Amino acid sequence: MNLFGNKTNRIQKKNVPDIQDGSFSANAFDVPFGSNCVRLSGCEWVAVGIIISALFYLGPILWERIEKFEPELDYRLPYELSNDYWLYNRYCRWACSQHETLVIGDSVIWGHYASEHNTLSHHLNEIAGRNRFANMGVDGIHPAALEGLLRYYGQAISEKNVILHLNPLWMSSSKHDLQTDKEFHFNHPGLVPQFVPKIPCYKVPYSKRMSAVVERCVAFFSWASHLKIAYFENMDLPTWTMEHPCENPLKAVSFVLRTSVSHNQNEHISWAQRGVPKEDFPWVRLETSLQWNFFQRSIDILRQRGNRVFVLVGPFNEHMLKGKSIDTYREIKNEIEAWLRREDIAYYIPPALPSEFYYDASHPMSEGYAMLAKQICENRPFGSDILWSGSNFAAPNRD
Amino acid sequence: MLFHTWSFALFFLIVYPTYLALKRTRFGLAWLLAASYFFYGCFNPLYLLLIFYSTLLDYIVVARMAKSRRRKIWLSISIVNNIGLMGFFKYGGFVTENLNVLLSSLGAAYAIPAPGILLPVGISFYTLQSVSYVIDYYRGNIERENSFIRHATFVSFFPRLVAGPIERAGNLLAQLQNRPAFSTKDISDGLSLFIVGLFKKVALADYMALYVDKVYAAPEQFQSPSLLLATFLFCWQIYFDFSGYTDMARGAARMMGLRLMLNFNNPYLATGLGDFWSRWHISLSSWFKDYVYIPLGGNRKGTFNTYRNMFLTMVLSGLWHGAAWTFVIWGAVHALGRFLTRELERTSFYKEKVPKIIKQLLVFVFVTFTWIFFRAESIIDAWVIVTRIFSSGLANPHCPLLALAFVFAVWSYQFVYESRIRWVLELRAVRIVILVLMVLYLSIFAASSEQPFIYIRF
Repeated sequence: MNLFGNKTNRIQKKNVPDIQDGSFSANAFDVPFGSNCVRLSGCEWVAVGIIISALFYLGPILWERIEKFEPELDYRLPYELSNDYWLYNRYCRWACSQHETLVIGDSVIWGHYASEHNTLSHHLNEIAGRNRFANMGVDGIHPAALEGLLRYYGQAISEKNVILHLNPLWMSSSKHDLQTDKEFHFNHPGLVPQFVPKIPCYKVPYSKRMSAVVERCVAFFSWASHLKIAYFENMDLPTWTMEHPCENPLKAVSFVLRTSVSHNQNEHISWAQRGVPKEDFPWVRLETSLQWNFFQRSIDILRQRGNRVFVLVGPFNEHMLKGKSIDTYREIKNEIEAWLRREDIAYYIPPALPSEFYYDASHPMSEGYAMLAKQICENRPFGSDILWSGSNFAAPNRD
Repeated sequence: MLFHTWSFALFFLIVYPTYLALKRTRFGLAWLLAASYFFYGCFNPLYLLLIFYSTLLDYIVVARMAKSRRRKIWLSISIVNNIGLMGFFKYGGFVTENLNVLLSSLGAAYAIPAPGILLPVGISFYTLQSVSYVIDYYRGNIERENSFIRHATFVSFFPRLVAGPIERAGNLLAQLQNRPAFSTKDISDGLSLFIVGLFKKVALADYMALYVDKVYAAPEQFQSPSLLLATFLFCWQIYFDFSGYTDMARGAARMMGLRLMLNFNNPYLATGLGDFWSRWHISLSSWFKDYVYIPLGGNRKGTFNTYRNMFLTMVLSGLWHGAAWTFVIWGAVHALGRFLTRELERTSFYKEKVPKIIKQLLVFVFVTFTWIFFRAESIIDAWVIVTRIFSSGLANPHCPLLALAFVFAVWSYQFVYESRIRWVLELRAVRIVILVLMVLYLSIFAASSEQPFIYIRF
């Protein structure tokens, strides 16, 4: 068997033109190009490349000039736009120019069971007497996704005061901690690391992972997602036209963004009143927790950008815990505190709120936020630092 | 790994520059072969055993044929092996199912267990290509390929591996041997082909699929307008899907300096069914013509035999598409249509008096009708669709107007392309604007579902 076949017999030329002068020209195998005229020369491709690059670069910039985005008092990213990272990026830039302190976190900060006028940032603003705190919470985001959000879409957050919230719920089980081997669909998959470090329950095809990487690296693609989320009900255009077969898609693009519609604001019944049973959470230890690891990375990112980071831990609904999970939770809390102290990061771990102020394991209700804001501001030096924005970095909280 | 995924983009970004660097060395082909096997292995590494076995056997068969007087025996071994493999993997379940129906109708208590084998992707394509190489050698049309690596690359060349075009040794193998001169024109042409194919698949075929899949999943729930529109859109979906794949395959190959044959030539502008089959899946049509229809006798032995040969060829072609009776019926209906149009085309009235546009529309309507059998999940479903088209109500079909607008835009483009005002489409500004719009649409609006190609199932 001649593997490389240096001296092969040539295919007989019954079906192909003859060789001339010992060399085969491309024309010898000429087959019709195609059945359309979309055939560009090299120069024309260069022209197309320039046009496309210009549109990719200018499209999102021009769009910002056309599309109205005027956040009102106590603005928070609308629930329906939680996946609109391009808008988050825009909101970050706006918030950084308007507010001194950004409150970043998940649905606890966003205020899943409170109206926008009853969130933590609102109450902090009330105490401060001015519009100092911006609600930068994103509903459903977890530390792994938050790290991606800050890394790729939160570049504008620099040289600011940042209250970074840690919700211990994300370490309350291996499922919340994304450590199950079984595939599990979690929120904001496009923000988590797609390849390294490996997230055990994240099992989407490589192609989708690459798509996520491209989207967060090329602003044009996240802008394209913004169009889908903001104007086409979070659907791509074909799917949207299936739902609205006779409507003109151009009319759907109104250039007016949805306002911050209150979500679940009528939920005023606490967990105990609803009869939610106490639970024995199978906590994940801090040293093996993925979510804790990502939370640490988020702090690093924020600090590297020159921000003053204040960590707020909880307050978790300890009334809901039973059995061993109470002790385990306290141990975890102590470990978190020790780490924050070691790293010289200002922090506050408030005591649990009264049981009737919780909707579930981690979400306070309106009254809970008011009390929490008060507790934060009364705590020294944490509270005084974030309220009055001292020039020196806050020392660790000492009891 | 499908052409319209980021995985393929990454794969090609690695394979292509390396191939260009190695092209003129002895490792160029080996690299192409390794890339092709990697590409195929991404679907399922076990498939590699099958394609390697098939390739090796045909390589040995031709080598033995070259030294043997009993060439026919070696030819038979190759054909039996290739068709046997395809039959086993593709038709095993179908045959078992039908035998079980037969046994049960005869009152037998025994049922043959279903083989439950996964159909290897692309087996129908590379098998036919490999067979054509052996037959061409047997007929003396080509000479033997001595290099196993070149032969294996010919069989497994990744752009055309899973859904064609079904290349002939006279074209692809000859190019692999002679390494035709490669220019920047190849890159720009390849890129043009690839983008058009990508647009056809992602922006058009997958869009049509949304409506078609909904209606064909439960045809009894839809009325005449929905069924008609779904069939109309499927007619275009399958064209966009398959010709889109082919364009991307040809584009990727062209960028490497290799020219694959044209597989689609605006088939819905055909004026007769013969014309349609010379424009639709050309590589398969010509394969069946050269290796089935002509060996059966072609049109040389009278009208009856011609029609018999035509019928057999069309039914076999239908069966090639899939192991189900719906495909057999699809082939048979096409054969009947072919008889009819062939006879019509012989009359001077049809030839001279009937306007071209009417002929085109007639062919289009007929072909669209036959797609019902191709797309339906079962014969019963096909029957339900046909009867409900004529007998159900006229409820609002809720078909997206944008999808219809896309179809009519493409159809109009094709009419202009084959008309005297084609020069309009050849204007530089028009070509550039069309391409920019396609790229923008793909980037902003297209669906991101990554639907597989229809023909990969075959």
